[in-house]
Amino acid sequence: MTADGTSGLASRPWAIVAAHELRSLWLSAKGLTVLFGYTVLLSAMTYLAATNSELNLLDARESIAIIVQVAIGLGTLAALVVSADAISGERERDSLEALLLTPVPRRDLVIGKMLAASTMWLASIIVALPYAYSIAQGPAVGADAVLVLITVGPLVGAALTALGMAFSAVSLSNRVSLAASIGILLVLAAPSQLPAIASRGALGSILVTINPVSAGLKLANTILIDQKTWASQWTLIVSPVVAAILLTVVAVLASRRVRLGGSR
Amino acid sequence: MSSGPAVVCENLEVGYGQMKAVDDVSFSVEVGQVFGLLGPNGAGKTSVVRALTTIIDPSAGSARISGYPLTDPAGVRSVIGVLPESNGYPESITASEYLRYFGRLNGLSATAAITRAASLLTEVGLDGVGGKTIRTFSRGMRQRLGIARALVNRPSVLFLDEPTLGLDPAGREDILSQLTAIALSDGTSVVLCSHLLDDVERVCDRIAILDKGKIVSSGSVADVTARAEVGRVVTITVETADTDRALDVLRDAPAIRSIAATQPGLIEVEVSRPVEDFNSLLDALLRAGVSIRALEPPKTRLNEAFLALTGEKERANDR
Repeated sequence: MTADGTSGLASRPWAIVAAHELRSLWLSAKGLTVLFGYTVLLSAMTYLAATNSELNLLDARESIAIIVQVAIGLGTLAALVVSADAISGERERDSLEALLLTPVPRRDLVIGKMLAASTMWLASIIVALPYAYSIAQGPAVGADAVLVLITVGPLVGAALTALGMAFSAVSLSNRVSLAASIGILLVLAAPSQLPAIASRGALGSILVTINPVSAGLKLANTILIDQKTWASQWTLIVSPVVAAILLTVVAVLASRRVRLGGSR
Repeated sequence: MSSGPAVVCENLEVGYGQMKAVDDVSFSVEVGQVFGLLGPNGAGKTSVVRALTTIIDPSAGSARISGYPLTDPAGVRSVIGVLPESNGYPESITASEYLRYFGRLNGLSATAAITRAASLLTEVGLDGVGGKTIRTFSRGMRQRLGIARALVNRPSVLFLDEPTLGLDPAGREDILSQLTAIALSDGTSVVLCSHLLDDVERVCDRIAILDKGKIVSSGSVADVTARAEVGRVVTITVETADTDRALDVLRDAPAIRSIAATQPGLIEVEVSRPVEDFNSLLDALLRAGVSIRALEPPKTRLNEAFLALTGEKERANDR
């Protein structure tokens, strides 16, 4: 404890930055607006999947898998947008210089901002849980749906949040940071949209497995639709775990490259 | 950390690719001194400040801020306060929250940060608006908030880059008064970057004029203006009847560049050395019995010296 009663953790620079960023994200319109948009989309998808028998040509299990995948994808996108703006946005708003002038190490700035951005996917998953559980009641795969959300969601979310942060740290322009981050998310998500036959071959299977996004989304399919066991699908969780760790390390290392820019 | 000068900058160079923005710049700032760094746009003032505040790495040279070398950025940042030229704010938080946040980032405890924020808001004249979000602030209020933020860690050296730019006369007056008070009361050294020469002339103890990355003149305002090749016209008003006699005396006087009687009794003389020649002219006229009604000594304003030293006048004419 410090003299004023704050714990050691709360006086760490990254914790101070994270607390400030959390307030900025959730007490301003930004975080709540993104979460509201996410909730509206998820509600619409869930409603269609659960009630509209004419439009819903899917098997009930496929509907649950789609809802879980959409929840993971949109939650990751929301967190990615927030993290990709974290440093490059400060640079564009001319508020980065003041931060860089404090004695706080740049690593702590990046870690604090990354933690705050991570709450975006955390909130998305919390919002998605009742949707996934309620729609899964019928085929009794609710527990699996929730489990997929709380394992795959955080891993993919953490990996992509770190990726956005790394881009934000090194990009001089906010537009470049956002475009690069979203572009990579789309590229990573693309294999999950391939026809099933394309991912059944050896090469297709490897590509899906080493890609953290497609592996995570495929895991949702195999657990929720094909009703495979978690133990038999462990290979699909490896790349999200590795990506989450590796990209977090990359984001922290990218903090060394945080610069103001080249203005005279 | 040090009892020497607050800022010692030696042969500093800053490059952006092939371009040298700062070239062999050296100066020092004593404790409690207000030092003005002047120059036209693109002269390299902001680059000097950014190098001295560890935002960019110099390509050559060295500097010490309150004894801390630039190779110890954490040390330097612990003793400086900076108001950058482009100063953005998080719009959705209050002024008080903003100062508390920066207090915490500068190592203050939560309680100390609250106390410091409140006292700074009072110090810069923002008491009463600390609870308002920054988006409601005028430019002048934002500048004052920026100064408050720069002071949050009780810095020994304060760097202010164009602090009065875009402010109305009352706002400028406010900021300049505050600046002087800070230097006088706390012994804080101030490095003031500006191209508003009236401001600099008013508050700075010493100045350096920067042009194309190099210091072209430095010293006190009086020294710099005296060294500039301007302001050497002495205007003498004599009795109308004494005009011819005065002209005869002046024609024989040494070191006179030109003489012109613009109207009876009013003579303009261009001298070579402002102070010495002015005295000798006066002496010669009095010895010749010329009745002098008025005599205006050669006066050089800083802006004239600035224009002459930086070649801005010629550049403007070329444009």
